[in-house]
Amino acid sequence: MPEAPTPDDGVRRWRPSRRQVVVTLVVLVVLGAVLIAVWPGGTAQQAAAPATITVSRSNCGQGWTGSSSGAQTLTLANRDSSNADADVVAVGGPNNGKVYGEVDGLGVNTSQPVQVTLGPGTYAIRCLIEDTDPIMGPTVRIGGHATHNATAVPFSNSDLLAPLKTYQAYLATGVADLVTKTDALDTAVKAGNLALARADWLPAHLTYETLGAAYSAFGDFDGQINGGTAGLPGGVNDPSFTGFHRVEYGLWHGENVASLATVTDQLDGFVHGLQAALPKIEPQTVDLGLRAHEIMENTLRFELTGRTDEGSGTSLATADANLVGDREVVGVLRPLLATRYPQLSDVDTWSQRFQALVEAQRGQDGTWTPVSQLTTATRERLTGTLSQLVELLAPIAAITEPRRVS
Amino acid sequence: MTRGVGRRSFLTGALLGAATAAAVPAGAAESQLADGPAPAVPFHGVNQAGIVSPLARQSAFLSFDVIAANRTELTDLLRTLTDRVRFLTGGGQPAPVGITGPPSDSGVLGASVPADGLMVTTGVGASLFDGRYGLADRKPARLTAMRMFPDDDLNPAWCHGDLLLQVAAPHNDTVLHAVRDLTRHTRGAMQVRWRLDGFTSPPRPSGTPRNLMGFKDGTANPSTSDTKLMNELIWAGKGGAFSQPGGEPAWTAGGSYHVVRLIRMLVEFWDRVSISEQENMFGRRRDSGAPLDGNHEFDPPDYPKDPVGTAIPLTAHIRMANPRTAKTDDNRILRHGYNYDLGMDSSGNLNQGLIFSCFQQDIQRQFEAIQTRLIGEPLVDYISPFGGGYFFALPGVHDSSDHFGRSMLG
Repeated sequence: MPEAPTPDDGVRRWRPSRRQVVVTLVVLVVLGAVLIAVWPGGTAQQAAAPATITVSRSNCGQGWTGSSSGAQTLTLANRDSSNADADVVAVGGPNNGKVYGEVDGLGVNTSQPVQVTLGPGTYAIRCLIEDTDPIMGPTVRIGGHATHNATAVPFSNSDLLAPLKTYQAYLATGVADLVTKTDALDTAVKAGNLALARADWLPAHLTYETLGAAYSAFGDFDGQINGGTAGLPGGVNDPSFTGFHRVEYGLWHGENVASLATVTDQLDGFVHGLQAALPKIEPQTVDLGLRAHEIMENTLRFELTGRTDEGSGTSLATADANLVGDREVVGVLRPLLATRYPQLSDVDTWSQRFQALVEAQRGQDGTWTPVSQLTTATRERLTGTLSQLVELLAPIAAITEPRRVS
Repeated sequence: MTRGVGRRSFLTGALLGAATAAAVPAGAAESQLADGPAPAVPFHGVNQAGIVSPLARQSAFLSFDVIAANRTELTDLLRTLTDRVRFLTGGGQPAPVGITGPPSDSGVLGASVPADGLMVTTGVGASLFDGRYGLADRKPARLTAMRMFPDDDLNPAWCHGDLLLQVAAPHNDTVLHAVRDLTRHTRGAMQVRWRLDGFTSPPRPSGTPRNLMGFKDGTANPSTSDTKLMNELIWAGKGGAFSQPGGEPAWTAGGSYHVVRLIRMLVEFWDRVSISEQENMFGRRRDSGAPLDGNHEFDPPDYPKDPVGTAIPLTAHIRMANPRTAKTDDNRILRHGYNYDLGMDSSGNLNQGLIFSCFQQDIQRQFEAIQTRLIGEPLVDYISPFGGGYFFALPGVHDSSDHFGRSMLG
C-alpha cells in the first residue's frame, strides 16, 4: 500500500501557484518595510543615514551625488503618488544598460536600501513609476578601482517573445505525441491486454513528463493528468485521484480491467482536453525562466524521493524525461543567455552528468532501478548532481525576468 | 515600452493592500529575546578553531560523502569550503548579485551576517584516502575507520564519512545559517551522509554543564592553556613526555585526530534507577558533580586511598575511563560532549543522548585505550552508541592565500 498522504508531501494539483506565494511574501516584506519606516526607533532611524535618493516622476535620482567605488547602500525613497520600481543602471561605457541593483515594488512614501558594489564609471537611477514611461535620473560619476557586483543587461518582454513561441511549438508537438500514446494505452486496457497496457503506460507518461508541466503550467490539467495522492483524503481510493499515477496504481496492483478502463478512458479525455485547450493556455514570458529550475526542483522533490511512484518503479525514467523538458527551456533561452550568464556552460556540464547518472540506471531490457533500490553512493551522486544543477539553473529565472527598460 | 509584464507588475499591484494593514509593535517580546552576537573567532592560524576552543552552546556535526569526480574537483571543494568558512566566521555583507540571481545569502541572520563566534572545524575520514583521489600515500598514520566495540550497536547510515564539519556557535540560528550556506556551495562535490545537532546546557547551577542523564560531563579535561600538555596529548606528530608519535606525513602538522561517537541515552530507563546506583555507575554525586570520595566538583578522586572501591567502585565510569595512574596519563583526551535531542523512537521513548566528540594525538593510544577499558562497564545498559566516525581535523588555514587541505593535496 502507498503511504498515507502527509501534509508536507505537497502535490502539484493543490499547491498555490508559485506566483501567488510570491505575492503573499511580498506583501509581508513590504509591510515590514512600512513598519520599519514609521515605527519609532526602527532601523531606518538608527542607521547612519546615507543620502536618500528620490524615486518620482519629477525628481528621479535626486539626492544621489556619487561616491567612490566599492560596496555601498543606496536608499531609494518613493516620493511619487504611485507605486514604483527602481534600478541602478550603468550609463555609457562598456557596461551601458547593465543593472547593478533594483528595488521591486516600492510603495508610496516608503524607502528601501539596496546593496550594490559599484566599480568606476557613470551610473543613474531609472525610475519605473506605475503607468509611466521609464525615467532616467541624472548621471552620477563613481571614481576608484573596486570591482563591481555581478550584473547584466535586463530583458524586455519583447526579447522573450521569440523563445516563447518556439517553446509553445515544442509543447504543441509534445501534446500531439501524448495524445497518440495515451490513445494506445487506453486501447490496450480496453482490450484487456494488461501486459501491453503496462508497456504502453511508460512512454505515454514519459511524454507528458517532457512537457515541463511544473507548478501549474497547464492549469487544472496537470492535476487531472498527472496528480498524486497528496491532499486527497481518500488517498489512492479518492475519486479525485485520476491520471497517469492512478492508472499506474491499477496496473501494478492487479486492478480489474473494467475499473481500469474507466480510469484510462478518463485520462484519455483529459489529454484530449489539454490538446484542445493548449492554444488558449498561454504561458507568460516570465514563466520561461522560472521553468528552467522549477522543472528540476520538482524532479528532486518528487522523483528522486520516489514520492510519486505508484508501483512502476520508474521515477528515474521520469527524471530523465523531465531533463528533456528542461533542456528545451534552456535551449530556447540560450541565444539570450549566452552573453548574460557566464555559467551557462556549467549548466550543460551538470545537465549531462545528471543524464549519464540517471540513464546508467536503465537496464538492457529497458527496466529502471526503483529509487528505493539505489545504493547510498548512487543516490548521493544523483541527488548531489541534480542539486548542483538546480543551483545553476536558478539564476536563469532572475536574469530572464522581463523588465521595463525603455 | 512594455507594460503589464508578468510577475513584476503583478507584485506592484499587491502593494496597495499592504500599506493599509495595521501595524503591531513587538517591543516587549523582542527585549526578552535580545541576545547580541558574539565577537568573531579568528579563522586563520596554525590550528583550526573548535579544537582547543571553549565549548559552544550550539553545534551541528555533519558527515559528508565526497562525490567530486576527481582530485581537481576535490581541491575546488576544499577551496570553496575555505572561502565560505572565512566569510561566515568573519561576518559581513553578503555579496550583492543585482539581477543576476537569487540572493547570495539566506537572510536567516539578517541583511548583514554577524560572525557570532562561529567556528567550523573540518576533518577528513580514512575513506577519503582510498583510490578515488590518489591520496592513499597521504593518509595520516593513525587514521582508520571507526571500529565496532562490543557494547556498540552501530547503524552504517550513521557511521563514517569522507569529510566532517563540526559547526559551533553561541546561537542555533548562526549554526543553521552556516550549515545552509556550506551545503549550498558544495552540493555537486559532497552530500551529507549523516547529521546530528547538539547543544551545551548552561551550568546548572554552576560548574561543568550537565548531560541528559543529569550528571556533569567533562569535568576532568586536560588544560587547553597548557601548551606543553596540548603538544603531548592533542596535536598530531608532536612529541612529549609520553611518546614520540612518529610516522606522520609532514602535512599533518597542526592537525588533530577527532573521534565522534553518537550515543543514545535510554533516559526513561535511567530515570527508573535509584540515585545511589546512578552515582555508583558514574563515580560522582549527581547534584554537585563531586567524586564520591570528595566534596566539590573539582576535588580530584584519590584512588590509591580507595584500592578496593568502597567510596568509588572499581567499575565506576570515571575510574575505568581515567584511573589517574602514570601509565594511563598518556591516554587522556580533550572531550567536548554535546547533548542531542531527536524526537521519539517507535517505543514512545525520547530519542536523546550525547554527541561525544574528542580530540587527541593518537586514536589507538587514547580514545581506543579508554573505550577498551570501559567495555562492560555498568553504564552500558543505559546507553547505546549507534554512530559516529574517526576523522583527522586538518591543520589550520594559515592566511588568505591558504586553504583547507592545501598541504595534504600539494
